[in-house]
Amino acid sequence: MKTTTKTLALAAMLAGTTILASGAAQAKTADGKWLIYLSLSYSGNAWQSEAANIVKALAATPPFNETVELVEVISGTDPQAQISDYESMIANGADGIVSFPISSNALNRVVRRGCNEDVLFFMYDGTVTESCAYNISFLSGGFGENTAQALVNELGGKGKIFLSRGVPGNSVDERHTDGAMHIFNQYPEIEIAAEYYSYWDDRTTQQETAKALAAHPDVDGVWAQAGEFGVIQALLQANPDRLVPVTGENSAGFRLALANPDMQAKGLRGVSSGSGPAQSGFAFKIMMEILNGQRDALPDGQRNIEYPLPWVPADAVKVCEGDTFEEGCNVFTEDKVPSSFVSEVFNPELLPELSLISALDGLPTPGATIQPLPAEAVKLAPDMPGINCRGCDAPANLYELTKIEATVQP
Amino acid sequence: MMSSDTGTPERSARTEDTRTSQRISPTVVTVATIYGLVLVMILASRLISPSFGGLSQLETILYLSSFLVFCAFGQGLVILVRGLDLSVASVITVGGVLSASLMDGSNTGLLHVIPTILLACALIGIVNGIGVTVFNMPPFIMTMASGIIVYSLCLGFTGGTPRGFPAPAMNDFMQARVFGIPSPIWLLVVFAALGTLVQSFSSFGRKLTAVGNNPEAAYVAGLPARRLIIAVYGISAACAGFTGILLASYANGATLRMGDDYLLPSIAAVVVGGSSILGGRGTFLGTVGGAMLLTTLSTILSALGIGQGWKTIMEGGVILLALILLRNQVFDGLRALVMRKD
Amino acid sequence: MTDAIRGRDRAPRKTPLISIRYIADSAFLIVVIYALMAVIYVAVQPSALSAYSIESLLNNSLPLMLAAAGATFVILQGGFDLSVAGTISLVNVTIAINPHDGPGGALWVLGISLAIGITVGAINGFIVAYLRIQSIAATLATMIIGQGAALIILKAPGGSVSDFMVYGLTGSVVDRLPFALVIALCVMAFWTVYSRTDAGRNLMAVGQDRKAAALSGINVRRTEFLAFVWAGAFYALAAYMLAAQTSTGNPAAGTPFLLLTFAAVALGGTAFGGGRGGVTASLFGAATLMLMQKVLFSLGVSSFYTGVIQGLIMIAAVLFASAVNHAARPKGHG
Repeated sequence: MKTTTKTLALAAMLAGTTILASGAAQAKTADGKWLIYLSLSYSGNAWQSEAANIVKALAATPPFNETVELVEVISGTDPQAQISDYESMIANGADGIVSFPISSNALNRVVRRGCNEDVLFFMYDGTVTESCAYNISFLSGGFGENTAQALVNELGGKGKIFLSRGVPGNSVDERHTDGAMHIFNQYPEIEIAAEYYSYWDDRTTQQETAKALAAHPDVDGVWAQAGEFGVIQALLQANPDRLVPVTGENSAGFRLALANPDMQAKGLRGVSSGSGPAQSGFAFKIMMEILNGQRDALPDGQRNIEYPLPWVPADAVKVCEGDTFEEGCNVFTEDKVPSSFVSEVFNPELLPELSLISALDGLPTPGATIQPLPAEAVKLAPDMPGINCRGCDAPANLYELTKIEATVQP
Repeated sequence: MMSSDTGTPERSARTEDTRTSQRISPTVVTVATIYGLVLVMILASRLISPSFGGLSQLETILYLSSFLVFCAFGQGLVILVRGLDLSVASVITVGGVLSASLMDGSNTGLLHVIPTILLACALIGIVNGIGVTVFNMPPFIMTMASGIIVYSLCLGFTGGTPRGFPAPAMNDFMQARVFGIPSPIWLLVVFAALGTLVQSFSSFGRKLTAVGNNPEAAYVAGLPARRLIIAVYGISAACAGFTGILLASYANGATLRMGDDYLLPSIAAVVVGGSSILGGRGTFLGTVGGAMLLTTLSTILSALGIGQGWKTIMEGGVILLALILLRNQVFDGLRALVMRKD
Repeated sequence: MTDAIRGRDRAPRKTPLISIRYIADSAFLIVVIYALMAVIYVAVQPSALSAYSIESLLNNSLPLMLAAAGATFVILQGGFDLSVAGTISLVNVTIAINPHDGPGGALWVLGISLAIGITVGAINGFIVAYLRIQSIAATLATMIIGQGAALIILKAPGGSVSDFMVYGLTGSVVDRLPFALVIALCVMAFWTVYSRTDAGRNLMAVGQDRKAAALSGINVRRTEFLAFVWAGAFYALAAYMLAAQTSTGNPAAGTPFLLLTFAAVALGGTAFGGGRGGVTASLFGAATLMLMQKVLFSLGVSSFYTGVIQGLIMIAAVLFASAVNHAARPKGHG
């Protein structure tokens, strides 16, 4: 194909991490290879690069290395750009698009159009409200409310706390915070001394927490979204001898801190939960099973799939000796990964094919082959209006606690 | 970059006014007002929280605003010569990313690594300067484009996740205290003093002011305007790189969005600090005050718990207020009103 | 070549179509660049000429085109308008919380949007023209205020937009004539007329030489004020079409527009500093930016390094435009 020569020639000139498209539209039956696009939007942090890497690793693992053509596309944070790229992917004859959508609503029209052209859309972590797209997300698992209850339990139902949030004007941040507030509001003796936006970034978290500590050095606990290791650093900088209970997501730095006896002695307790990059691999595998006929497609409108919420209390942190999660271990040490490494990138049941080089470099684990997903792996997620559905209502038990029970009554 | 503002009286000829009240220059009044405002805000914030209004809050504000101050120095110099540096955010990221990967968690070679990083960043700035002076690119576009390019290179270089740690010595420095005061605050004081000296009291600074005030006249007077402007962009990028190194040391790592919080605030700090965005007027001491003002405001607004929307509106409002109040005409009028004794 | 146009300082009326001066002053250059890019795009992407492709490309480009058109008014008279991001966010969320059905509803929502845009523009204009605050700093402040206001109105993406807007306004009038194209052509027609009126000519005059304009009796302040008002109106229109395309409101809707708008204007050849360029050029500049994204995708360049290419193209385009302009000016005119 003449486009192939042109594309290859230009690609030779340009550096990049893209795996190239083999050319124009190809029906699945023409050469047997599935054309799958990995569509990222924001790409400047560890979570995003790990999520992209494991999809690349899976696509390079036998037998997918023979049957799948994976093309990575990075659109940036402008919804218009991702819309334009989705259009281009559909026009190019994509069979499936695994994507982190930048907006839960703005992409709906182009997604619907793609569905009409028999493209499978699998969104991971982020969701879209278009009913024909599959959403694989931990969001419905109740990170906000469960971690809030854990914090309340640690504090015995009273104390001053900080809320370290994400990005202002973002629906994921809103959902987490709404869930948390649902719990905190039940305890009149829990006082929210400060609430700030940390943009899911360790350094911003550290700075904003430092500002809050200037006003309230006597804080009793911190509820944090991603970037939670910055909370620990800010606390230590303000007072090297005092830590407080902190709940957060799953950066390696935070998990190791939870298990660190020195830090525990200073008062650190808490839970490591949150969003795991493993969702992307899970989404990819489900999509491939549907494309290969090994799993039935779900009916339109029932395509919200829940990824199990990771839940690692301080006493359950176990350091991994090898290169993958085995024997119940759930964190890697500093010599293997940076402190910002997002730990929940592995899942021994759902993604046994992955190891550290998959997450760090996007390479397949030597000797691994794709394993089928357990039959009951796919669980449906409840409706969350504006997040994974539209024209729908939230169930009455939306904020029901699933991971923990209240040890203190309001 | 922009056509000159010809409607304001301060640019037209004026007969010498020798009354005593005229000896206090508007610059001094501006700077004094800014610091006065900061003091008032800190004291008044005691009403919000008992831990506010004291030395520990001042310490936190000084510590956190230091990062903004370092990159605002460079931005201030660029604005002084009628330019604008929109690549600050990306160069901060470069500084941070290079610190993490070049130092790689060890103290060896630190004395080589830091100048290397600063030099690399300065080169980016020099490219900006060349684009603006030699090729007549509008600074907005040149620095915006170079910022996009540099960020993209960082993204590709790190693959999305910056690896490595800054040297432990750097992290220790950021945590250390000298006579009970955190070392970054000492650094801030030294930097502020040096910066003010350079910008307002050195011949380099005077030449920059002349170029910013009237480029044609400066050229006629024989000043090497081009070289000065290129140097200034280089300095700005070096300052941004310096900020990145310190930020990475503070957080013991680098992230790709670390510079994002400093671009618009660096411009705001310069403007609130009394510099004219048209160039030719401004002191670094004012910029430092502006940075402190913005950080104090942000801290207080966060503590008030009023919600992000209102907080953002108020921050914008304060900048607007500062702009309106700092116009020279307002000062002339105020001064005439208050000090008419002679 | 320059001999023929030396000494002629006024805009040429009857020059031959392809003189250097004409190329420099009009949208000619950017139209050529756009055409070239379109040719490349069609060559690597065979489906580019389908009705749907054209429609979706134009729908995607229209918000940026309108934003760039608005910013052009301010840039032409020598100023800057950073408030594009705040105004678009503010109008976008207001639309999303005010869904009204049908064409009548869409018209009503359009009215609200324009009202907000014009108000913000008037505030900007007042601050810059009458309070004499420099435009980049003033609009930085109003942008921040606008973004805060948007966040108060809608704290997370949501709201809804009427079906008529979402499906009707993004459709086609006839096959291969998308509504978006009609709007763009109307804007072009508007500018062609406006630039020939007194108000339009005043805009260019103020941008070229403020003092001379004031001396020749132009009310500089009012011209400045009007420029911001027009800008605000166009930003509102951009937010309106953005809402139609994304069917949702987003308090951060305007943020991507901040740098993209100025990139589009610069690409179009409008000089920062005023006096040269026009809305048509900016429309094409924006269209080129959006087309560039498509071309890069089709060529397989969609990796981390996309930014490098975009930045380089931006610099190259501005350099090229200013080089052509430099060649067009008789020597001695800076």
